[in-house]
Amino acid sequence: MSASWLGVKRKIVADDQTEWVAWLIAAQQGDRRAYAALLTAAVPWLRRRARGRWPQMSGADIEDIVQETLFALHRSLDLYQPPRPVAPFLFGIMKLRGADVRRQRVRHAMREANLDDLPVTSPAMATNAIQEAALDHAAMREAMATLSQRDREILDMMKMREMSLQEASAHSGLSIATLKVGTFRAIKRLRRAMGVDDAP
Amino acid sequence: MMRPDQLIDNLVADLRPVRRAPSPARALAIWLAVTVPSLALVIWLMGLRPTLPLRPAFLLDQALALSTAVIAAYGAVCAGRPDQPTWKLALPVVMMMLWLAVMVGQCALMTIGGKPGVLALHIDFACVPAMALAGFIPSITMVLLLRLSPIFRTNHACLCGALAATAAAEFALRLFHAEGSFLTLLVWQMGSVIVLTISGSVIGKWVLARLPGGMRIWPIPT
Repeated sequence: MSASWLGVKRKIVADDQTEWVAWLIAAQQGDRRAYAALLTAAVPWLRRRARGRWPQMSGADIEDIVQETLFALHRSLDLYQPPRPVAPFLFGIMKLRGADVRRQRVRHAMREANLDDLPVTSPAMATNAIQEAALDHAAMREAMATLSQRDREILDMMKMREMSLQEASAHSGLSIATLKVGTFRAIKRLRRAMGVDDAP
Repeated sequence: MMRPDQLIDNLVADLRPVRRAPSPARALAIWLAVTVPSLALVIWLMGLRPTLPLRPAFLLDQALALSTAVIAAYGAVCAGRPDQPTWKLALPVVMMMLWLAVMVGQCALMTIGGKPGVLALHIDFACVPAMALAGFIPSITMVLLLRLSPIFRTNHACLCGALAATAAAEFALRLFHAEGSFLTLLVWQMGSVIVLTISGSVIGKWVLARLPGGMRIWPIPT
């Protein structure tokens, strides 16, 4: 066992606040105030740990990992066994979710093309009014807010996170056929919400 | 990406009381409590072999099969827990390798010792369905245990769970199914363990993904 590993382990244990245990136990029983206290205390701690573990990652990616960790903690509250320390539990979730995020980044990077070398006047960069409207994130976000929760979930999986149908099915428990139909309908509703008229 | 305080507000608003998932040791105890009687029932229904070869090699094989089953079951329930150390997840693989190595070693020793008929390979189709039958209830129990809570290392959990069920089934199989030559045992029975572990893992993952609520962590809608 290496000395550096022992150092990390000791640091985790030292960082673990005893009140975190009480907060997490209370959160398991539905205490929202304790849960808010735990999450608020955990965010800067997770950010620090994430930066230490993945120093090469950008600030946005680190923030992504921290938020993914909070989501995962929310879905895994029942897995915590008191009186085990909370820090290794949180750190374990972050390691696993962080690895998922990194894998996703690598997968996306393989599908992206670098356009730095293209002159800005290149016709390849030309866009028209409809495309610009479609790329307007603010308008998109506004339109997304008008959709149902199910539509948002499906678009988030299929379009934002660019999951495959199999992955989205494994994540959500929906069948592939339901996902296909759901994506088609959600896009149609989104286009309508953004004022795009589809040809009949 | 939303602001952290907004995310915390959303998560807090969505909080519901949860029933704590059983600890890995308790989950293992539940699995054993269902698996042991089910295997005993299968052995009783199929009939215990009239002459059990109670030689040391047989006892060692059985001890390794049983240990692999228990350790793999523990590895499966630990895989979904984020705070479990990695060595616990590697242990089932080590046990399986050890078990396989001991079996191959015994076969090699008998061959070198000139024991007749060791390398005679017979067709033994019956052991595959027999093992699948014996492993059915342990597999279903494992799927239900893994379903108790969202899990993280899904592939590892399914693989270890399938290995646990097939190793337990192999343990039972050798108590009711007559063996041919050692090579037949190695190829058909250990081959069945490997094939059923891989197919059980794939089927388990497929079943888990299709049960309501899915199997993996998934962010709540905001």
